[in-house]
Amino acid sequence: MTVVAMPSGRMPGAATAEPILTVDNIVKQFETPDGVLTAVDNVSLSVRPGEFFGVIGPSGCGKSTLFNIIGGLLDGYDGTVRVAGETVDGPHPSIGMIFQEESTFPWRSVIDNVAFPLEIAGLPKSERYDRARHFVSLVGLDGFERRFPAELSGGMRQRVSMARTLAAQPKIMLMDEPFAALDEQTRLLLGDKVLQIQQELKQTTLLITHNITEAVQLSDRIMVMTYRPGKVKRIVEIDLPRPRTSEIVSSEAFGRYVAQIWSDLREEATRGLVEDESRKLRGGAGAPP
Amino acid sequence: MAETGRLSAPSLAPSWVREHPVTALRIFIIVTVLLAWEGLARSGWLYRDVVPSLVAIGHALYETLADPTFYVHLYATFYEIAIGMAIGGVAGLAVGILIGGSKLMQRAYEPFLYYLGPCPKIIFFPVMIMWFGVGPGSKIAMGAISCFFPVALNVAGGMREIDKVLIRVGRSFRANTWQMVTKIYMPAMRHPIINGLRLGLGVCLIGTLLAETKLSNRGIGFLVIQAYTLFNMPQMYSLLIVLFVIAIGANALIGRLGGLDSIRRS
Repeated sequence: MTVVAMPSGRMPGAATAEPILTVDNIVKQFETPDGVLTAVDNVSLSVRPGEFFGVIGPSGCGKSTLFNIIGGLLDGYDGTVRVAGETVDGPHPSIGMIFQEESTFPWRSVIDNVAFPLEIAGLPKSERYDRARHFVSLVGLDGFERRFPAELSGGMRQRVSMARTLAAQPKIMLMDEPFAALDEQTRLLLGDKVLQIQQELKQTTLLITHNITEAVQLSDRIMVMTYRPGKVKRIVEIDLPRPRTSEIVSSEAFGRYVAQIWSDLREEATRGLVEDESRKLRGGAGAPP
Repeated sequence: MAETGRLSAPSLAPSWVREHPVTALRIFIIVTVLLAWEGLARSGWLYRDVVPSLVAIGHALYETLADPTFYVHLYATFYEIAIGMAIGGVAGLAVGILIGGSKLMQRAYEPFLYYLGPCPKIIFFPVMIMWFGVGPGSKIAMGAISCFFPVALNVAGGMREIDKVLIRVGRSFRANTWQMVTKIYMPAMRHPIINGLRLGLGVCLIGTLLAETKLSNRGIGFLVIQAYTLFNMPQMYSLLIVLFVIAIGANALIGRLGGLDSIRRS
């Protein structure tokens, strides 16, 4: 197996290390027909090297907006995003993104999908295929290199996306509800895969989700967001042992964390539901993109 | 009756017909048309040679194909169409990407494409003769203009159909504009592009051949019009057959290109 050089300076679990990602006082507003809507309101967070950081909130709390801002795909906001000390101003090479939607290229085989970022970066052919094969194997898709996305299941396609993002060797990987389109069992098993990869690569990750089980299963810390405008409600340390597997969902501690986060979220989700319904009643516009 | 209002194959048909109903129906219609043609030719109802017998057409086809000068003309037409398709196709692709890629450009320019697109391009032929001369240049120009519009319209529409998340993937990996176009836009639009090229090829053939019949001394269009002027109907029909074959072949080739990477994701 090819040894893939990892960016140095990763110190998993070292709470004292310089944060890889720092988000300071982000405010993002959208113009809507109903007036100005504040999607993200004064959100700050920092993610330490090797940490798995979860962001959870009800629909309409601006999670995806935050994801796009950190990833550099959205501008026109106040506040700063810094990754490894550099201010983010557009897509940054240290940040890798995994999208909620089906995002594999249907015209590329698995290996060519995974090699895509390396091709963009201009790596020589043999090197990029060596590296792509390594990451295809890491997500457990050995033997599927030559298959096309249409021949794979939804869960496998999402693993291809993951391998593609990991192949670019980002300092931090952002995931926006990557398993939202999958069924519960696939989701738990993919969670295992993520835990295993996390274990292996010490990959710093920021996961955005509305699924409490998923957030607790994977994260070291979870930031709970409020319903519109999206603010930081609480940051919860998840003190569950690592290495973890999906079996942890049946433990008592796990249940306590889920209950604790749900009590925080319940209020917000209820408020969201009520506001959403009354807006629909008035016939106003829905959530911004 | 489960299949009310539908024709079903008679049970008396031989088993080969029942196993290959589509092929059987195709053979049936072709044989019927040929028989009707031959019947009409032999009936003497029309002027002799307006509907020449199949034997005469076959003979003329043989003579046409055996004549070396035919290939000079064939090459001339082929050359004009190839260059016309290349120019019109590349221009249509570029304009389609520009127009489809921006709301502003779309609002400003797409109406022009829509209104100029269906307009018969032959009206530009006199202008093209003045600009590019009576030789192949004006024919290439006619082919290129004809091919441009369907390609541009299809690509502009295709740009809007691209899955937005694929564009975000490209941006997140910091692809530059050229990489976005060649590695995301174009492969994502392979179906509209192929469709545009296929439609473009049809009108390019029309534009080029029509121009050849109007004013030229070379090309299949010129041969057709010459056969017509000399009232050599068998030869004219044989040339039409050649044109059919060329059109079908070119279409199949473009379709094949579109199927290269498989259309596997529904």
